[in-house]
Amino acid sequence: MISESILEGQRLRLRPVQPGDLPKFAEWLADPEVRRWLAALHDAPMLQDEIEWYEDSRANPDNVLWSIETLEGQLIGTVELRVVPHAQRAELGIAIQDKSQWNQGYGTETVRQVLEYGFEELELNRIELTVDEENARGRRCYEKCGFTEEGLLRQHRIVEGEFGNTVMMAILKQEWVR
Amino acid sequence: MTVAPEVRIEGSLVRLRPPSAADVHHFVRWYSDPEVMYWLHMTEGPPATEPMEKERIGTARSDPSQMLWMIETNEGRVIGNIALLQIDLVHGRAWLGVTIGEKDCWSRGYGTDATRLLLHYAFENLGLRRVQLITDVDNDRGIRCYEKCGFYREALLREHRLRHGKPLDMVQMAVLRGEWSAIDGRR
Repeated sequence: MISESILEGQRLRLRPVQPGDLPKFAEWLADPEVRRWLAALHDAPMLQDEIEWYEDSRANPDNVLWSIETLEGQLIGTVELRVVPHAQRAELGIAIQDKSQWNQGYGTETVRQVLEYGFEELELNRIELTVDEENARGRRCYEKCGFTEEGLLRQHRIVEGEFGNTVMMAILKQEWVR
Repeated sequence: MTVAPEVRIEGSLVRLRPPSAADVHHFVRWYSDPEVMYWLHMTEGPPATEPMEKERIGTARSDPSQMLWMIETNEGRVIGNIALLQIDLVHGRAWLGVTIGEKDCWSRGYGTDATRLLLHYAFENLGLRRVQLITDVDNDRGIRCYEKCGFYREALLREHRLRHGKPLDMVQMAVLRGEWSAIDGRR
Protein backbone atom coordinates (compact mmCIF):
# COMPACT_ATOMS: atom_id res chain seq x y z
CA MET A 1 0.00 0.00 0.00
CA ILE A 2 1.04 3.60 -0.43
CA SER A 3 1.62 4.92 3.08
CA GLU A 4 -0.90 7.41 4.31
CA SER A 5 1.45 8.52 7.07
CA ILE A 6 3.53 11.60 6.45
CA LEU A 7 6.78 11.46 8.44
CA GLU A 8 8.55 14.76 8.87
CA GLY A 9 12.16 14.95 10.04
CA GLN A 10 14.74 17.69 10.34
CA ARG A 11 15.37 18.09 6.63
CA LEU A 12 13.17 15.49 4.94
CA ARG A 13 9.55 14.52 4.58
CA LEU A 14 8.32 11.01 3.72
CA ARG A 15 4.95 11.25 2.01
CA PRO A 16 2.74 9.04 -0.17
CA VAL A 17 4.03 8.36 -3.69
CA GLN A 18 1.98 10.25 -6.26
CA PRO A 19 1.57 9.37 -9.94
CA GLY A 20 3.22 12.71 -10.74
CA ASP A 21 6.48 11.40 -9.18
CA LEU A 22 6.81 8.53 -11.65
CA PRO A 23 8.36 10.34 -14.64
CA LYS A 24 11.20 11.53 -12.37
CA PHE A 25 11.84 7.98 -11.14
CA ALA A 26 11.99 6.66 -14.71
CA GLU A 27 14.41 9.45 -15.64
CA TRP A 28 16.74 8.83 -12.67
CA LEU A 29 16.65 5.03 -13.01
CA ALA A 30 17.73 5.29 -16.63
CA ASP A 31 21.20 6.10 -15.22
CA PRO A 32 23.34 2.94 -14.78
CA GLU A 33 25.24 4.63 -11.93
CA VAL A 34 21.97 4.91 -9.99
CA ARG A 35 20.85 1.39 -10.88
CA ARG A 36 24.24 -0.09 -9.96
CA TRP A 37 23.25 -0.50 -6.29
CA LEU A 38 19.59 -1.38 -6.69
CA ALA A 39 19.18 -5.13 -6.45
CA ALA A 40 15.56 -5.13 -7.57
CA LEU A 41 16.26 -3.61 -10.99
CA HIS A 42 17.72 -5.41 -13.98
CA ASP A 43 17.15 -2.95 -16.79
CA ALA A 44 16.22 0.71 -16.94
CA PRO A 45 12.46 0.89 -16.29
CA MET A 46 10.20 2.66 -18.76
CA LEU A 47 7.53 5.02 -17.45
CA GLN A 48 5.01 2.20 -18.02
CA ASP A 49 7.07 -0.07 -15.71
CA GLU A 50 7.02 2.61 -13.03
CA ILE A 51 3.23 2.93 -13.37
CA GLU A 52 2.88 -0.85 -12.93
CA TRP A 53 5.23 -0.79 -9.93
CA TYR A 54 3.13 1.99 -8.39
CA GLU A 55 -0.14 0.11 -8.98
CA ASP A 56 1.31 -3.13 -7.57
CA SER A 57 2.55 -1.32 -4.47
CA ARG A 58 -0.84 0.27 -3.94
CA ALA A 59 -2.53 -3.11 -4.18
CA ASN A 60 -0.14 -4.92 -1.81
CA PRO A 61 -1.32 -4.46 1.79
CA ASP A 62 2.04 -5.65 3.16
CA ASN A 63 4.20 -3.02 1.43
CA VAL A 64 4.47 0.47 2.86
CA LEU A 65 5.91 2.89 0.33
CA TRP A 66 6.89 6.56 0.58
CA SER A 67 8.42 9.21 -1.64
CA ILE A 68 11.30 11.08 -0.01
CA GLU A 69 11.37 14.85 -0.45
CA THR A 70 13.16 17.77 1.18
CA LEU A 71 11.08 20.02 3.43
CA GLU A 72 11.10 22.47 0.49
CA GLY A 73 9.25 19.82 -1.53
CA GLN A 74 12.06 18.62 -3.78
CA LEU A 75 11.64 14.92 -4.63
CA ILE A 76 14.83 12.83 -4.16
CA GLY A 77 13.85 9.14 -3.97
CA THR A 78 11.75 6.38 -2.43
CA VAL A 79 11.77 4.13 0.60
CA GLU A 80 9.64 1.12 1.48
CA LEU A 81 9.01 -1.49 4.13
CA ARG A 82 7.95 -4.92 2.92
CA VAL A 83 6.24 -6.46 5.94
CA VAL A 84 6.19 -10.25 6.40
CA PRO A 85 2.86 -11.17 8.00
CA HIS A 86 2.96 -13.18 11.24
CA ALA A 87 6.73 -12.67 11.67
CA GLN A 88 6.96 -9.13 13.15
CA ARG A 89 9.58 -8.52 10.49
CA ALA A 90 10.02 -6.30 7.46
CA GLU A 91 12.55 -5.74 4.71
CA LEU A 92 13.70 -2.19 4.10
CA GLY A 93 14.47 -0.85 0.63
CA ILE A 94 15.70 2.68 0.01
CA ALA A 95 16.86 4.53 -3.08
CA ILE A 96 18.08 8.12 -3.14
CA GLN A 97 17.51 8.22 -6.86
CA ASP A 98 18.61 11.82 -7.46
CA LYS A 99 22.37 11.29 -7.38
CA SER A 100 23.06 15.01 -7.01
CA GLN A 101 21.68 14.50 -3.47
CA TRP A 102 24.07 11.69 -2.48
CA ASN A 103 26.51 12.09 0.46
CA GLN A 104 24.41 14.55 2.39
CA GLY A 105 23.08 12.22 5.07
CA TYR A 106 19.61 12.02 3.51
CA GLY A 107 19.72 8.22 3.42
CA THR A 108 20.60 8.06 7.11
CA GLU A 109 17.84 10.48 8.06
CA THR A 110 15.33 8.51 6.00
CA VAL A 111 16.33 5.14 7.46
CA ARG A 112 16.06 6.52 11.01
CA GLN A 113 12.54 7.81 10.32
CA VAL A 114 11.46 4.50 8.83
CA LEU A 115 12.96 2.51 11.75
CA GLU A 116 10.94 4.60 14.19
CA TYR A 117 7.78 4.00 12.15
CA GLY A 118 8.49 0.27 11.82
CA PHE A 119 9.26 -0.37 15.49
CA GLU A 120 6.74 2.05 17.03
CA GLU A 121 3.77 2.11 14.64
CA LEU A 122 4.00 -1.31 13.00
CA GLU A 123 5.37 -2.95 16.21
CA LEU A 124 7.98 -4.89 14.26
CA ASN A 125 10.69 -6.83 16.07
CA ARG A 126 13.21 -7.03 13.20
CA ILE A 127 13.99 -4.90 10.15
CA GLU A 128 16.39 -6.38 7.62
CA LEU A 129 17.95 -5.40 4.33
CA THR A 130 20.40 -6.62 1.74
CA VAL A 131 23.13 -4.41 0.33
CA ASP A 132 25.75 -4.91 -2.37
CA GLU A 133 29.10 -5.83 -0.79
CA GLU A 134 30.79 -3.00 -2.69
CA ASN A 135 28.26 -0.37 -1.68
CA ALA A 136 30.47 1.19 1.00
CA ARG A 137 28.32 4.31 1.32
CA GLY A 138 25.19 2.26 1.92
CA ARG A 139 26.82 -0.10 4.43
CA ARG A 140 28.21 2.84 6.43
CA CYS A 141 24.78 4.46 6.51
CA TYR A 142 23.09 1.28 7.77
CA GLU A 143 25.76 0.72 10.43
CA LYS A 144 25.28 4.28 11.69
CA CYS A 145 21.57 3.52 11.99
CA GLY A 146 22.30 0.45 14.15
CA PHE A 147 22.21 -2.42 11.64
CA THR A 148 24.48 -5.44 12.20
CA GLU A 149 25.98 -7.56 9.42
CA GLU A 150 24.65 -11.10 9.64
CA GLY A 151 26.35 -12.79 6.73
CA LEU A 152 27.53 -12.71 3.13
CA LEU A 153 25.43 -14.13 0.28
CA ARG A 154 27.98 -15.41 -2.22
CA GLN A 155 27.63 -14.68 -5.95
CA HIS A 156 24.14 -13.46 -5.19
CA ARG A 157 23.83 -11.12 -8.16
CA ILE A 158 25.24 -10.58 -11.59
CA VAL A 159 26.30 -6.93 -11.77
CA GLU A 160 27.61 -5.57 -15.06
CA GLY A 161 28.42 -9.10 -16.17
CA GLU A 162 30.30 -10.12 -13.01
CA PHE A 163 29.32 -11.97 -9.85
CA GLY A 164 28.46 -9.73 -6.94
CA ASN A 165 28.17 -10.68 -3.27
CA THR A 166 25.37 -9.31 -1.10
CA VAL A 167 25.59 -8.45 2.59
CA MET A 168 22.69 -9.34 4.87
CA MET A 169 22.04 -6.78 7.63
CA ALA A 170 19.39 -6.44 10.32
CA ILE A 171 18.43 -4.46 13.40
CA LEU A 172 16.26 -5.76 16.25
CA LYS A 173 13.88 -3.60 18.21
CA GLN A 174 15.96 -4.10 21.39
CA GLU A 175 19.02 -2.72 19.57
CA TRP A 176 17.26 0.30 18.20
CA VAL A 177 18.13 3.69 19.70
CA ARG A 178 15.68 6.37 18.70
CA MET B 1 9.99 -17.41 -18.59
CA THR B 2 8.65 -20.86 -19.26
CA VAL B 3 9.72 -24.02 -17.55
CA ALA B 4 8.31 -27.45 -18.26
CA PRO B 5 5.56 -27.72 -15.66
CA GLU B 6 4.89 -31.40 -16.20
CA VAL B 7 8.39 -32.68 -15.66
CA ARG B 8 8.82 -35.87 -13.59
CA ILE B 9 12.10 -36.76 -11.93
CA GLU B 10 13.12 -40.22 -10.71
CA GLY B 11 15.60 -40.72 -7.87
CA SER B 12 16.85 -43.69 -5.89
CA LEU B 13 14.41 -43.40 -2.96
CA VAL B 14 11.82 -40.95 -4.23
CA ARG B 15 10.37 -39.45 -7.38
CA LEU B 16 9.09 -35.95 -7.98
CA ARG B 17 5.90 -35.27 -9.93
CA PRO B 18 3.78 -32.17 -10.54
CA PRO B 19 0.91 -31.57 -8.09
CA SER B 20 -2.70 -32.03 -9.12
CA ALA B 21 -6.00 -30.93 -7.62
CA ALA B 22 -6.26 -34.35 -5.99
CA ASP B 23 -3.23 -33.53 -3.81
CA VAL B 24 -4.98 -30.72 -1.93
CA HIS B 25 -5.90 -32.94 1.02
CA HIS B 26 -2.23 -33.84 1.60
CA PHE B 27 -1.31 -30.16 1.98
CA VAL B 28 -4.25 -29.46 4.28
CA ARG B 29 -3.27 -32.36 6.54
CA TRP B 30 0.47 -31.55 6.64
CA TYR B 31 -0.03 -27.84 7.19
CA SER B 32 -2.50 -28.33 10.01
CA ASP B 33 -0.27 -30.80 11.88
CA PRO B 34 1.43 -28.93 14.77
CA GLU B 35 4.52 -31.19 14.67
CA VAL B 36 5.04 -30.47 10.97
CA MET B 37 4.23 -26.77 11.34
CA TYR B 38 6.70 -26.45 14.20
CA TRP B 39 9.54 -26.32 11.66
CA LEU B 40 7.83 -24.18 9.04
CA HIS B 41 7.81 -20.42 8.51
CA MET B 42 4.04 -20.32 8.61
CA THR B 43 3.77 -21.61 12.18
CA GLU B 44 2.07 -18.36 13.16
CA GLY B 45 -0.22 -18.14 10.15
CA PRO B 46 -3.84 -19.26 10.03
CA PRO B 47 -4.31 -23.07 9.92
CA ALA B 48 -4.45 -24.61 6.47
CA THR B 49 -7.80 -24.85 4.74
CA GLU B 50 -8.84 -26.52 1.50
CA PRO B 51 -9.39 -23.22 -0.41
CA MET B 52 -5.96 -21.94 0.73
CA GLU B 53 -4.18 -25.09 -0.40
CA LYS B 54 -6.11 -25.21 -3.67
CA GLU B 55 -4.86 -21.69 -4.30
CA ARG B 56 -1.28 -22.71 -3.44
CA ILE B 57 -1.35 -25.43 -6.10
CA GLY B 58 -3.06 -23.14 -8.62
CA THR B 59 -0.49 -20.39 -8.08
CA ALA B 60 2.40 -22.82 -8.36
CA ARG B 61 1.05 -24.01 -11.70
CA SER B 62 0.39 -20.56 -13.16
CA ASP B 63 3.27 -18.51 -11.72
CA PRO B 64 6.34 -18.93 -13.95
CA SER B 65 8.67 -17.95 -11.08
CA GLN B 66 7.86 -21.06 -9.07
CA MET B 67 7.82 -24.83 -9.53
CA LEU B 68 6.22 -27.25 -7.11
CA TRP B 69 6.52 -31.03 -7.02
CA MET B 70 5.01 -33.76 -4.88
CA ILE B 71 7.54 -36.16 -3.36
CA GLU B 72 6.50 -39.81 -3.70
CA THR B 73 8.30 -42.91 -2.51
CA ASN B 74 9.14 -45.38 -5.25
CA GLU B 75 6.12 -47.35 -4.04
CA GLY B 76 3.91 -44.36 -4.92
CA ARG B 77 3.17 -43.04 -1.42
CA VAL B 78 2.92 -39.23 -1.32
CA ILE B 79 5.12 -38.04 1.58
CA GLY B 80 5.86 -34.37 1.01
CA ASN B 81 6.54 -31.56 -1.41
CA ILE B 82 9.50 -29.61 -2.72
CA ALA B 83 9.57 -26.29 -4.57
CA LEU B 84 11.75 -23.75 -6.30
CA LEU B 85 10.49 -20.26 -5.51
CA GLN B 86 11.25 -16.79 -6.84
CA ILE B 87 13.18 -18.31 -9.73
CA ASP B 88 15.29 -15.45 -11.12
CA LEU B 89 16.88 -16.29 -14.46
CA VAL B 90 18.66 -12.93 -14.72
CA HIS B 91 20.73 -13.57 -11.60
CA GLY B 92 20.46 -17.36 -11.97
CA ARG B 93 19.10 -18.08 -8.51
CA ALA B 94 16.07 -19.48 -6.71
CA TRP B 95 14.84 -20.33 -3.23
CA LEU B 96 14.31 -23.95 -2.22
CA GLY B 97 11.55 -25.14 0.09
CA VAL B 98 11.05 -28.76 1.12
CA THR B 99 8.60 -30.41 3.51
CA ILE B 100 8.36 -34.08 4.39
CA GLY B 101 4.79 -33.97 5.70
CA GLU B 102 4.55 -37.66 6.70
CA LYS B 103 6.30 -37.80 10.05
CA ASP B 104 7.05 -41.55 9.93
CA CYS B 105 9.20 -40.69 6.88
CA TRP B 106 11.46 -38.28 8.75
CA SER B 107 15.16 -39.20 9.11
CA ARG B 108 15.09 -41.78 6.34
CA GLY B 109 16.94 -39.91 3.63
CA TYR B 110 13.88 -38.98 1.58
CA GLY B 111 14.43 -35.22 1.99
CA THR B 112 18.08 -35.56 0.99
CA ASP B 113 17.23 -37.60 -2.09
CA ALA B 114 14.51 -35.13 -3.13
CA THR B 115 16.80 -32.13 -2.56
CA ARG B 116 19.56 -33.70 -4.68
CA LEU B 117 17.11 -34.39 -7.50
CA LEU B 118 15.87 -30.84 -7.41
CA LEU B 119 19.39 -29.34 -7.34
CA HIS B 120 20.29 -31.43 -10.37
CA TYR B 121 17.23 -30.07 -12.17
CA ALA B 122 17.88 -26.49 -11.06
CA PHE B 123 21.53 -26.43 -12.12
CA GLU B 124 21.42 -28.68 -15.19
CA ASN B 125 18.00 -28.02 -16.69
CA LEU B 126 17.18 -24.48 -15.57
CA GLY B 127 20.79 -23.30 -15.73
CA LEU B 128 20.67 -21.69 -12.29
CA ARG B 129 23.92 -20.79 -10.49
CA ARG B 130 22.76 -20.47 -6.92
CA VAL B 131 20.06 -22.14 -4.81
CA GLN B 132 19.38 -20.71 -1.37
CA LEU B 133 17.14 -21.48 1.59
CA ILE B 134 16.46 -20.52 5.17
CA THR B 135 15.76 -22.91 8.01
CA ASP B 136 15.32 -22.77 11.78
CA VAL B 137 18.60 -22.59 13.69
CA ASP B 138 17.61 -25.65 15.78
CA ASN B 139 16.53 -27.76 12.80
CA ASP B 140 19.51 -30.11 13.05
CA ARG B 141 17.93 -32.74 10.82
CA GLY B 142 17.27 -30.20 8.07
CA ILE B 143 20.67 -28.53 8.30
CA ARG B 144 22.43 -31.92 8.13
CA CYS B 145 20.44 -32.81 5.03
CA TYR B 146 21.28 -29.50 3.33
CA GLU B 147 24.98 -29.79 4.21
CA LYS B 148 25.05 -33.27 2.68
CA CYS B 149 23.63 -31.72 -0.48
CA GLY B 150 26.42 -29.12 -0.58
CA PHE B 151 24.81 -26.12 1.10
CA TYR B 152 26.97 -23.73 3.16
CA ARG B 153 25.80 -21.56 6.03
CA GLU B 154 26.02 -17.95 4.90
CA ALA B 155 24.16 -15.95 7.52
CA LEU B 156 22.57 -16.21 10.94
CA LEU B 157 19.28 -14.31 10.77
CA ARG B 158 18.56 -13.21 14.33
CA GLU B 159 14.95 -13.43 15.54
CA HIS B 160 13.87 -13.88 11.95
CA ARG B 161 10.54 -15.47 12.65
CA LEU B 162 8.18 -16.33 15.47
CA ARG B 163 7.48 -19.83 16.74
CA HIS B 164 4.50 -19.92 19.06
CA GLY B 165 4.95 -16.20 19.62
CA LYS B 166 8.65 -16.35 20.49
CA PRO B 167 11.39 -14.93 18.26
CA LEU B 168 13.54 -17.62 16.64
CA ASP B 169 16.89 -17.36 14.82
CA MET B 170 17.16 -18.83 11.34
CA VAL B 171 20.11 -19.87 9.18
CA GLN B 172 20.47 -18.84 5.55
CA MET B 173 22.25 -21.43 3.41
CA ALA B 174 23.20 -21.59 -0.26
CA VAL B 175 24.88 -23.90 -2.74
CA LEU B 176 26.58 -22.69 -5.91
CA ARG B 177 26.61 -24.73 -9.09
CA GLY B 178 30.35 -25.44 -8.89
CA GLU B 179 30.10 -26.66 -5.32
CA TRP B 180 27.23 -28.93 -6.19
CA SER B 181 28.98 -30.37 -9.28
CA ALA B 182 31.95 -31.35 -7.11
CA ILE B 183 29.66 -33.33 -4.81
CA ASP B 184 27.42 -34.68 -7.57
CA GLY B 185 30.46 -35.89 -9.52
CA ARG B 186 31.76 -37.89 -6.54
CA ARG B 187 28.55 -39.85 -6.09
